[in-house]
Amino acid sequence: MKYMIMTFGEASTMMETKSADWIRKMIEFMHTLNDDLREAGELVDAQGLTDGSQAKTVRFQNGTPVPTDGPFAESKESLVGYWIVDVEGEPRAIEIASRIVAFVEAPIEVRRVADGPPEV
Amino acid sequence: MSTEARIEDLLRELAPQVLAMLVRRHGQFDACEDAVQEALVAAALQWPKEGVPDSPRSWLATVASRRLVDEWRSEGARERREESAAALELPVQTHPPAEDDTLTLLFLCCHPSLSPPSQLALTLRAVGGLSTAEIAHAFFVPEATMAQRISRAKQSIKSTGIRFDLPPEPERADRLRVVLHVLYLVFNEGYTASSGPALQRADLTNEAIRLTRMLRRRLPEEGEVAGLLALMLLTDARRAARTEVDGSLVPLDEQRRELWNTAQIEEGVALVTRTLGTVPIGPYQLQAAMAAVHDEAPSAAETDWPQILALYEVLEQVSPSPVVTLNRAVAVAMVDGPRAGLALLGTLDAEDRMARNHRLDAVRGHLLELAGDTDAAREAYARAARMTASVPEQRYLALRAAQVG
Repeated sequence: MKYMIMTFGEASTMMETKSADWIRKMIEFMHTLNDDLREAGELVDAQGLTDGSQAKTVRFQNGTPVPTDGPFAESKESLVGYWIVDVEGEPRAIEIASRIVAFVEAPIEVRRVADGPPEV
Repeated sequence: MSTEARIEDLLRELAPQVLAMLVRRHGQFDACEDAVQEALVAAALQWPKEGVPDSPRSWLATVASRRLVDEWRSEGARERREESAAALELPVQTHPPAEDDTLTLLFLCCHPSLSPPSQLALTLRAVGGLSTAEIAHAFFVPEATMAQRISRAKQSIKSTGIRFDLPPEPERADRLRVVLHVLYLVFNEGYTASSGPALQRADLTNEAIRLTRMLRRRLPEEGEVAGLLALMLLTDARRAARTEVDGSLVPLDEQRRELWNTAQIEEGVALVTRTLGTVPIGPYQLQAAMAAVHDEAPSAAETDWPQILALYEVLEQVSPSPVVTLNRAVAVAMVDGPRAGLALLGTLDAEDRMARNHRLDAVRGHLLELAGDTDAAREAYARAARMTASVPEQRYLALRAAQVG
């Protein structure tokens, strides 16, 4: 079963509130986590996104698509990165997310990736 | 080197030669390219078990030709099929053609009518002999996406009727510039992965160096080819020192120089020394000369900055661009102090091309830090971190911001 594990926030907040030491530990933590997931054969994909301030949102206005600056959600709630893991079930996905939450001390969303249609 | 590795090297060397041979004979670049890929796969499976044939080139040509015939037999118009099949009955040439067509092939794959991503992908497949899966893996895109990109590039060559010939003399210099740029992009893609978690992708840098070496063997008189090769060697020589085990970036002045690859530095320096002054100067030679100055310094403090600044001044005349000015500002700061560098950076703020480039603020942060203006430095680093498209760089810049104090 595939799950998407999503983190939210913005890089600028991290820079204003965290110490250099914390950032160093965070880099190491992410590296180790990805290695562990890869070794376990659970890692499908992991990506970090550029800062939300770089995002464009295309909105439907007066009958036409109009590009606007900024992320869809509020900056502090916009997606910053995700993992897609292929795991045995939801408990394992939650276990992985918990390991991240214990480190970053911020909420993380776990969503199952929808299955394809059943074989006929 | 293991037998498999030797065979792979041989196959990659022969791939463009065999492809060029087939294209010369049959036209139809797209079909020939598919056939050669199949022949390469067959060889990679058979040769390690049965040994390398006496004439590996004609073995590959024969197998690829057979695939072409099979392909034509199974589809397409009857008449063309019969004509082509007849043409294929000719004995396969066993000697390399007098005129080396690998170069022609490289020019074809880097045709200006193709988009840069297509040029890169096609060059790696047709000239580099990499499989679609390998290229997709190197660029972190799904294989189906890369297959489609390559197929469109081939389609585009077919529909625009590009001929399989060396570009005529008046166009040669411009076309060579495109080829060099494509090789440079492949190198850069490998060296500073433009996206994704891994900062360095050694396979692409190695491949770029291999292809540039190959180009240099064919165009030994071209100073910019030598310059590009030297630049790649001198830059890649620092690879082991450039990142920590956890993937984070180490700036040049903090790198452990004993990790640098001295053999590669020697080769690069020798190339630059031999080339500079003997041929018209160009941007790759100049950048290689700067890389050589860095690589030859026993420590960061002993870097010959006045020499680097002088080279940047020439580079700015030969090939002016905001990025060159940005780099010159660093050299100015090292020679005349951070405030002088910051003043030069200030001239770039009005540049549209730099407005979205994180490096302007990253460099500004560094110079402000050197000047002791910590608040402004922190802000500049933070702006740069918000703009960069690379996760390791984002983290590195966040770290610098946090460290300013």
